[in-house]
Amino acid sequence: MSTSTSSPAGSGTTAAPGRPIGELIFALIVISVGVVGFVAGASIQTPPSASDIGPKAFPYLVSGMLVLVGTGLVIQLLRGGTGVPEEGEDVDPNIATDWATVGKLAGFVLLHSFLIVPLGWPIAAAVLFFGAAWSLGARPWFRNLITAIVLALVLQFVFAGLLGVSLPAGFLEGFGVFSG
Amino acid sequence: MSLLEGFAVAAQPMYLLFALGGVLVGTAVGVLPGIGPAMTVALLMPLTYSLEPTAAIIVFAGIYYGGMYGGSTTSILLNTPGESSSIVTALEGNRMAKAGRGAAALATAAVGSFIAGTIATVLLSFVAPYVAAFAVQIGPVEYVALMVVAFLTVGALLGSSVLRGLASLALGLFIATMGFDSLTAQQRYTFGSPFLADGIDVVLVAVALFAVGEALYVASRLRHGPIKVIPVTGGWTKWMRKEDWRRSWRPWLRGTVIGFPVGTIPAGGADVATFLSYASERKLAKGARKKQFGKGAIEGVAGPEAANNAAAAGVLVPLLTLGIPTTATAAMLLVAFQRYQIPVGPQLFENDSALVWALIASLYVGNLMLLVLNLPLVGIWVKILQIPRPYLYAGILVFAALGAFSVNFTPIDVIILLILGILGFFMRRFGYPVAPMVVGLILGPIFENQLRRSLAISQGDPVALVSSPIAAVIYVVLIIIFVLSFWMRKRQSALEAETTADLEDDVDDGTGTPRASAAPGGPDADGTSGTAPAVSGDPVGPADPGAAAGVPGARSAHGPDTVSGGAHSGASSTKNRKEGP
Repeated sequence: MSTSTSSPAGSGTTAAPGRPIGELIFALIVISVGVVGFVAGASIQTPPSASDIGPKAFPYLVSGMLVLVGTGLVIQLLRGGTGVPEEGEDVDPNIATDWATVGKLAGFVLLHSFLIVPLGWPIAAAVLFFGAAWSLGARPWFRNLITAIVLALVLQFVFAGLLGVSLPAGFLEGFGVFSG
Repeated sequence: MSLLEGFAVAAQPMYLLFALGGVLVGTAVGVLPGIGPAMTVALLMPLTYSLEPTAAIIVFAGIYYGGMYGGSTTSILLNTPGESSSIVTALEGNRMAKAGRGAAALATAAVGSFIAGTIATVLLSFVAPYVAAFAVQIGPVEYVALMVVAFLTVGALLGSSVLRGLASLALGLFIATMGFDSLTAQQRYTFGSPFLADGIDVVLVAVALFAVGEALYVASRLRHGPIKVIPVTGGWTKWMRKEDWRRSWRPWLRGTVIGFPVGTIPAGGADVATFLSYASERKLAKGARKKQFGKGAIEGVAGPEAANNAAAAGVLVPLLTLGIPTTATAAMLLVAFQRYQIPVGPQLFENDSALVWALIASLYVGNLMLLVLNLPLVGIWVKILQIPRPYLYAGILVFAALGAFSVNFTPIDVIILLILGILGFFMRRFGYPVAPMVVGLILGPIFENQLRRSLAISQGDPVALVSSPIAAVIYVVLIIIFVLSFWMRKRQSALEAETTADLEDDVDDGTGTPRASAAPGGPDADGTSGTAPAVSGDPVGPADPGAAAGVPGARSAHGPDTVSGGAHSGASSTKNRKEGP
């Protein structure tokens, strides 16, 4: 349940220790994307036939915007103006960030991407659903497993079988209703 | 008349089924937290591979309208402590529900949405062809001006921080430049990778930011424990008493009048429409009813919900006539058109009139279906609201992976999805709105083309960009919009702070803190007297854009901008903001 560890004020907007540093890094990344834009933009070729401002101008414009806005953000952050984290019906602003769950979810998405080709989409999708539901705290495991398998098969049937989206069927190859 | 031909198409049984499917899915995703219409349209983009354009567009339009209805159910019935206070308009319905009047709140929201949606669709049918006829005459310079307005209002007015919105917009524009330049075929920012040669697909970015970013963010702070849904009882025909009808019909109409123009102009989107409606209802209420505001006044549900739906129809005016999306969902609709190689712009009404009128006709039909789905059948949605959250977010991830994989049928896209999803996670965490990024990504290439065409005509002279009379008017209007928006934002936060303060006092009452004895009189007196000055200016708000619209060209000038995420479900609490533009 909601064991509030960091921000006793309960507003959710007061920063947990360390967040301004994260935000600062993010703002610096915004600046560096702009810098990369200038550096890499220098090598864009402008064909002699170009009758307009050419393919370089707009990327430079955007890169300049990134550098300017990023710098503005850094200044704002150094003066203490931190961002307000997004709210949501399912978001509890009073609890500390659960990095472990975020990491597990990202891991399962990554695993999923490696399973699609060798095992087929249905199995990869079932693994993703099962793993994500488990990471988010769904129990018992067999109900998660059954839900995962049913969902994967239904999606494979609807998208590949009915709508003709070419999802690799894996072990279901050969069953007409499951292949796109 | 072409609208009748549109009805002839939309009334075919097959298209009725597609419309029904669309509004069902739309209502479901509107009800569910963490998932909204923009994300759903993005996820269902694979439909464009197998359905013909009319069918797919009707499905997506159904999702768009359905999402608007579903959102209100959530904000009225879902009891999430400490969160809903952020949006004043979501609060009256929730307060009514807690006081046992949830049924009346649901009914006034559904009927109001239907009435406003229908009137606004009629307005759309009549206004859009005229705007299109006017828009055909404007050139690239004016387009550039319109898109600058769209970018700045989407970027700066959406979300709580101007700089963060602009950063999000710039990141989207940057991604848009990756890949081949469409005019000279030069590679830009591909870093020698064949995967980047075609750029990063819009659908991939949208799904990653909306779906994966959201799932990761919610997972990091998931609210545990049972999902508290306030029960609704009794037959739906008795939900609204006579008095409820008497108190609702005027707010419905006023909400429509406020919502539609605000939807078509760049003033910050449906959030602004709902807020303006709420503020004017609160101002117009008298005596005992005024004291109900903040505690469950039916006018505070009826007006904003109507304004929300009217704004949704208004958003379609700039989308269909200029090709400029002003909300996230509208941007995804534009992508759907692009998938079919249908150019969206002033020519749409001429070149693809059958499709456009079928779409508009399906909106009338969809509205009627939604009224049925949301009154007698509201029980279904209450059940959907109770889906265990681990399953909901696991399912969202599976759908996102499906959508990403089906872009090019390569697992690499799923990895790019994850990377962009992590970006979306940090953006939410640090208060960056994600919608401007998606709008920037979609409008970026169109903007660049128009900009280069303008400068090619003027032989590189940038002064040409502001010297056209229409463009100059558009820029002046932009400045006015900005001034108005900042002023309105101040008003809004003042009103929100005040209402929240009222609520906190109420809570003190309930829990019997030492202050409880003094509280009953206190908050009320504060609420009424304090509010009047704070809100007094607001009813003027709607008049201002209206006046500006009298200037030729000004109306379309505004059009492009309303991006706030809100358009899909403005009144329905924070969900809107997520997908805002």
